[in-house]
Amino acid sequence: MERDLSETIALVRSSLHAFVPELILSLGILLVLLAGLLNRRRGRLTLMVFGTIVLSLVTLPHHAAPFGHTLFGGMVRSDNFSAYLRALIDVGGVLTLVMAWRDTRTTERLSEYYSLLLAVILGAHLLVMSQNLLMVFLSLEIMSLCSYVLAGFSFTRQGAEGSLKYFLFGAVASAVMLYGLSLLYGFTGTLDFSSGTFSAALQQQQTPLVFVAGLMVLAGFLYKLAAAPAHPWAPDVYEGAPMPVVAFFSVVPKLAAIGALLKFVLVLNAFGQSTFDWQAVLAVVAIITLTVGNFSALWQKNPKRLMAYSSIAQSGFLLVGVVAFLPQGMQFMLFYATVYVVMNFLVFIYLQGFENIGLETIASYQGLGRQRVWPMVFLLVGLVALTGLPPTAGFTGKLFIFSALWEAYALSGKPVLLWLLVIGLLNTVVSLFYYLRIPYFAFIKNGESPTSTNNLTFENLFGLLLVLLLLVLFFSPGLLMGWINKITFVIR
Amino acid sequence: MMFPLQHFLILAAILFSIGLMLVVVKRHAIMMLIGIELMLNAANLNLVAFNQLYPTHRDGQMFALFVIIVAVCETAVGLAIILRTYHFYQTSVPDAVAELSDKP
Repeated sequence: MERDLSETIALVRSSLHAFVPELILSLGILLVLLAGLLNRRRGRLTLMVFGTIVLSLVTLPHHAAPFGHTLFGGMVRSDNFSAYLRALIDVGGVLTLVMAWRDTRTTERLSEYYSLLLAVILGAHLLVMSQNLLMVFLSLEIMSLCSYVLAGFSFTRQGAEGSLKYFLFGAVASAVMLYGLSLLYGFTGTLDFSSGTFSAALQQQQTPLVFVAGLMVLAGFLYKLAAAPAHPWAPDVYEGAPMPVVAFFSVVPKLAAIGALLKFVLVLNAFGQSTFDWQAVLAVVAIITLTVGNFSALWQKNPKRLMAYSSIAQSGFLLVGVVAFLPQGMQFMLFYATVYVVMNFLVFIYLQGFENIGLETIASYQGLGRQRVWPMVFLLVGLVALTGLPPTAGFTGKLFIFSALWEAYALSGKPVLLWLLVIGLLNTVVSLFYYLRIPYFAFIKNGESPTSTNNLTFENLFGLLLVLLLLVLFFSPGLLMGWINKITFVIR
Repeated sequence: MMFPLQHFLILAAILFSIGLMLVVVKRHAIMMLIGIELMLNAANLNLVAFNQLYPTHRDGQMFALFVIIVAVCETAVGLAIILRTYHFYQTSVPDAVAELSDKP
């Protein structure tokens, strides 16, 4: 372990080439903060952030070797799996930026707002790359600390309340996670969870305490995923936060957490040799998450709260892909995550458009289908995709992850997987009722909505793009799966 | 003289439990913050104490240093948020700050 200084510097320098996107993001955070001091023009700042994220997207490394590169002496690893998730996170960032640019409400402290967004993206990048417990904790905290502040960025009473609740929940979750991490360090003597020493030591000591420590660490991930039982913060935070931030929270931290969770659980499970059935634990979590998210969403009147519960339920579906514990499950999970990014932003961009013209409850959407046909039709496509009905890619994604789960059940024969399958399918039916409530009010019920000169032209062009993407991915999912299939998932 | 590892672990477990209890029982946000701080320190104690078992590494100590820094940042952000909430609600008791909830 002893290295002298020149060796350490050489190690760092040799790692930098695969770390360019993260360096660009870090530089971008500083530049945006500085630019905010000198120049407060909205357009320029937005362009700058846009440039930063796009630069980090195009510099993402592509690895020919399946193992990728271990960087900085085993702190992070850059491989194709993490590169894909990082690309998805960047796409989420760009879409958030488009929303933030169209947001007429958030005009204060724009440079801080943008630099916090960039910092969350940086944290998410690091989390999906990390293979060291210290790195997991630090990147999770980068994301959390910035998210607490972002949650209050509407500068309203609700915003303050949301961010207080988010902070208290999050701080406890991360403290519990840290205690779990410290126990795991004690059992294994190493922080590098992808190393052979770590998994070998865990296999030797299959005591209940290891199980408890593992559960404590999972708590931290589940909290970021807004999965049950760590979900109650989500609706309140979503209701209080500005719309772009809500859309951002429902995508970027989730993707990062699920990527790290996947790696971590595979190690905990010791490749099937653990005496504790982590697959069953995750399956139960997924069942509760799906059920709580979908059933609570049924009674919501505020579109933001509805989408909060919807995003809880969608984390349940992402977890289904993880529960399969198969290479296909991982690939289908990535496919579903990609589709989720597209359909989620499609819905949010219209919710923001409607909020901008003063429609804040689902009931106020009455009669909107006649006045604004195209926005409602596109929103309908997004909601149908979230439900998982054809002809949208949401259907393909759900079909894929459930088929992976079926395969996992056929392989292992565990009844809990069958239960998950049945309950997941039932929940899809339940979700139909609340997702289609918005179009129901808009198309079927009569009513007058406020007349506004804003025709949502920009939103329509942008929405059309996302709708086309959803349709294309339904008719030829091979386009995307061809990419994803090249990703080989290795932990070591 | 070296204390055996168990003493530290038990102390850390007690600290963690006290911290968790503070968070659950106390109604004031500042007291909850103190509880969170205790939980983080319990983990720190664990990390440093476990290094007795692995004298060749310094990972535990390094981790504890990072945790101390993160804890400071967390407290700073937390106090700012509590202050902000106080500005709007004239209270820092989270139970009294409850405008957002599932309305029937």
